[in-house]
Amino acid sequence: MLTDYFRYGIQNLTKRKMRSWLTMLGIFIGIAAVVALVSLGQGLQKYINDEFEKMGRDMILIQPKGELGAPGTTTPVQLTKEDLDEVLKVKGIDRAAGVPVGTIEIEFNDVKRYAFALAMPVDDSKEYSVLELMFIQNYGIELGKEIEDGDARKANLGHYYLNRNLFEKNVQLGNKVTLNGEVFEVVGFYEVIGNPSDDQNIYITRDAYYELFPEKKDVYNIIYAKAALSEEPSQVADRIERVLRKSRNLEEGKEDFTIQTADSFLEAFNVILGVVQAVLIGIAAISLFVGAVGIMNTMYTAILERTKEIGVMKAIGARNNDILLLFLIESGILGFVGGGIGVLIGMGFAKLVEIIATLVLQTALLKAYFPWYLIIGALMFSFLVGAASGLLPAWQASQLKPVDALRYE
Amino acid sequence: MLRDYFFYAAKNLLKRKLRTWLTMIGIFIGIAAVVSLISLGQGMRNAILGQFETLGTDKLTVEASGTGFGPPGSTVIKPLTLDDRDAIEQVPGVELVVNRMIRSVSFEYHDIRNFEGITNLPEEDKERALVLDVLNVKLAEGKMIDSSDQGKVVLGSGFSRDTRYGKAIHAGNKVLIGGAAFEVAGVLKRSGNPFFNDIILMNEARFREVLNIEEDVDLLVVQVKEGADVPQVQANIEKVMRRQRDVEKGKEDFTVQSPLQTLATLDTILTTVQTILVGIAAISLIVGGIGIMNTMYTSVLERTREIGIMKAIGAKNSDVLLIFLTESGLLGMAGGLVGIALGVGLAKLVEVAGAAALGEGVLVAQFSMMLIIGSLLFSFIVGTVSGIVPSYQASQLEPVDALRK
Repeated sequence: MLTDYFRYGIQNLTKRKMRSWLTMLGIFIGIAAVVALVSLGQGLQKYINDEFEKMGRDMILIQPKGELGAPGTTTPVQLTKEDLDEVLKVKGIDRAAGVPVGTIEIEFNDVKRYAFALAMPVDDSKEYSVLELMFIQNYGIELGKEIEDGDARKANLGHYYLNRNLFEKNVQLGNKVTLNGEVFEVVGFYEVIGNPSDDQNIYITRDAYYELFPEKKDVYNIIYAKAALSEEPSQVADRIERVLRKSRNLEEGKEDFTIQTADSFLEAFNVILGVVQAVLIGIAAISLFVGAVGIMNTMYTAILERTKEIGVMKAIGARNNDILLLFLIESGILGFVGGGIGVLIGMGFAKLVEIIATLVLQTALLKAYFPWYLIIGALMFSFLVGAASGLLPAWQASQLKPVDALRYE
Repeated sequence: MLRDYFFYAAKNLLKRKLRTWLTMIGIFIGIAAVVSLISLGQGMRNAILGQFETLGTDKLTVEASGTGFGPPGSTVIKPLTLDDRDAIEQVPGVELVVNRMIRSVSFEYHDIRNFEGITNLPEEDKERALVLDVLNVKLAEGKMIDSSDQGKVVLGSGFSRDTRYGKAIHAGNKVLIGGAAFEVAGVLKRSGNPFFNDIILMNEARFREVLNIEEDVDLLVVQVKEGADVPQVQANIEKVMRRQRDVEKGKEDFTVQSPLQTLATLDTILTTVQTILVGIAAISLIVGGIGIMNTMYTSVLERTREIGIMKAIGAKNSDVLLIFLTESGLLGMAGGLVGIALGVGLAKLVEVAGAAALGEGVLVAQFSMMLIIGSLLFSFIVGTVSGIVPSYQASQLEPVDALRK
C-alpha cells in the first residue's frame, strides 16, 4: 500500500521533470551549504579537542595576571623559581616546568625580525622539558635535529623560517643566524604548529637563553604543571592556588596570578566556536528555508493541476487520509532526494576547502569531518523539511469536495 | 505599450496570489538577509575604522620593532626613549610629538585586586588635546582630570558597569593603583572599542612614578605641520632615528608608519569577514531565483493556449518574451522591495539589541542609498534572469501546437 503511494509520488515527480529538479535544486543548495559549514566547524572543534587530548587534560597553566598581549608582554608580575619549587611540592603534581618567554631579534640575510625565544630546560628530575610539555607529544622536528644540552650556539627554528621568505629568502639547515647579536647555527626546524606566533618561535638551550637574557634567570612567564594520573586536575589547580597565595603572601581576591586547566581552556574555546558556528549555519539555513518555500509552492501547483484527479480518486473511494499521505510523501521525496544530493555536494565542497586550506594556507585547522549523525541528520532533516512544506497543500487537497474537484477546470 | 505589458504581468501575478506570494517570499528572505548583513557590517566597519579616523593623514606613528603579538612597545628589545622623542621633535616639518604608553597595572578596590590596562595623559596642553582627540574621550560622569590633578584618574566605562570589584566604581571613589591611592575624577562613556572600556587614564608624571618607568616610551605619535610633505617628513624621521639608534639603513629596529597603513590592513580583514557572511546569505537569493524560474515555467505551461492565441492574433516572438520577462522581473522587484523593508527592520532590531548588550555605537546599521537602490536593482535582475529561459521557451512556441494544447 505504502509502496503504491511512493510509486505514485515518484511517477508524478518524473512527469514534471523540470519542476522537480528546480525544486530540489533549492533544497540541495541549502543542505550542501549547511553540511559543508557544519563539517568544517566540527572538524575544527575536533582538531582542537584532539590537540588538547594529546597535550593532556591533566595540564595546568599558571600565568601572571596583567597580560594585554602574548605571554611576557605587559605584566609587571613575575613568577619565579621559588614559585616553581612551591608548585613542585604540591600534592598530586606529577611534574612542572617554568617557561621564560623573551622577544629576540633574529638577523639573517641582512634583514632583522623579531620573535619569541623559548628555552629548553636541562634534564633535571621532576622538571619537565618545555618541549616535552608543549610540543613533543604533538609536534616534532621536521628537518634536522633537536638541540641538546651543551649546544651553546645552536638553535631550532619554527616552520615559518623554512618557507615563508621571512628574510627575503628562506633559512636553511646549517645557516648562521644572529640572535640578539650572537651567531647561532640552525640545526633543526619544527613542523607546522598552525599559528603565526608559534611557527616563528626560536628555541635555544637554557644556558644560551640566560646568556642572552640575564634578567630572565629563574623568572618565568608561564609555569606548566601536569597533574598526577590519579588526581582531578581542577582539584590540583585549587591546591596550587592556595599554596601560591600563601607563598606569595596574598589574600584571597588579590591574587596576581591565574591558574587554568586544559578543561577550562577547552570550555571557553568551545563556547566561542559554538557561537560562530551557530551564526554561520543560521545564515546558511536561510537558504534551506527558501528552498522549503519552493517545495510548498511546487506542491500547491501540483495539487492545482491535479484537482480533477483528486476528485476522481475520492469518487472511487479514496479517504481524506489517503490523499493527505499521497501528497505528503511526494513532497517528502522532493526534500529527501534534494537532501541526498545536497549532502554529497556539501561533503565534496568541504573536502575542497580542506585541500585548499592545507595546500595554500598551510593550516591544519580546516579539516572536514563527517560524523555519521551529520549525514543521517541532514537526510532526515531534508525529508522533514519536504514533508513539513507539503503539509499545508496536502491538507488542503485532502479536504477538497469530490464534486467540486471533479467540476474544476 | 510597455505599460500594457506591466498591467498584463501584474494581472497574471494577482490571479495566482498564493503562488506569487510564495515565490516572492524566497526573494524577500534572501534580500532581507543580505541587506541587514551589509548594513550592519558597514556600520560596524565604520565604527571600528572611525576609531582611527581621528588619527588622520597628517599623523605618523613611531614604534620600536617587536613581534607584534602584544600592545605597542611590549615585545620590543630596544625601547624608544625620551631622547628619541626629543630628536624627532627637531625634525623639520614636525609640529608635535606625543608619548603614548600602554601598560598593565595592579588595581585595587573594595578589597579586590586585579590587573588593568593603563595609559598616560601628557601634561602639556597641546599634546594632551591631541591624545584626548585621538582617543575620542567622552565623559559619562564626573570630570576630566587636568594636568595638575596628579592624585586623580579617569576610568573607562567598564569599571562603573560591571562588578568585577564586588561593586561598581563611580566618580569620587578612592582606588589603589600600583599600590598608590587615587581618587576617581570621572568615568568615560561606553566606547565602541572594548579596550577603552577597561582603561585607566593617568597623568604622565604620576604614571612614570607609579609604574617606575624612567626613559622608555611605547609609541610616539607625530603630528606633521600643516602643508608639510608627509612622506618627506617620514623619511627625515627615519634618518634621524637611524642616527639616534645607530643602525644602518635596511636594518632598522623601529618603524615609522602612517596610521592609514594600519587602517588598510584592518579594512581588509573586516571586508573579508563581511564578504563571507554576505556570500553565505546570498545563497538563499540563488535559491529564491530558482523559485522564480520554477514559477515562470509553471506559468508558461499553464498559459500555453493563451500564448497560442496571442501569437495567432499577431503577437511577435519578442512580444511574448517581453511579457514573461516583465512578469518575472516584477516578481523579483516586488520581492526585493518587501525584502529591503524587512532587512532594514531586522538590522534596526539587531541594532537595538546590540546597543542593549554591547553598548551604544558598536552595532549601528547603516543604509546607504547605494545599498537600497543596488538591492532593488539586483532583485529585479535576479527576477529577470531567472525568467529568461522560461520566457524564451514560451516565445518559441509554435502557435498551432500551442493552441492545440
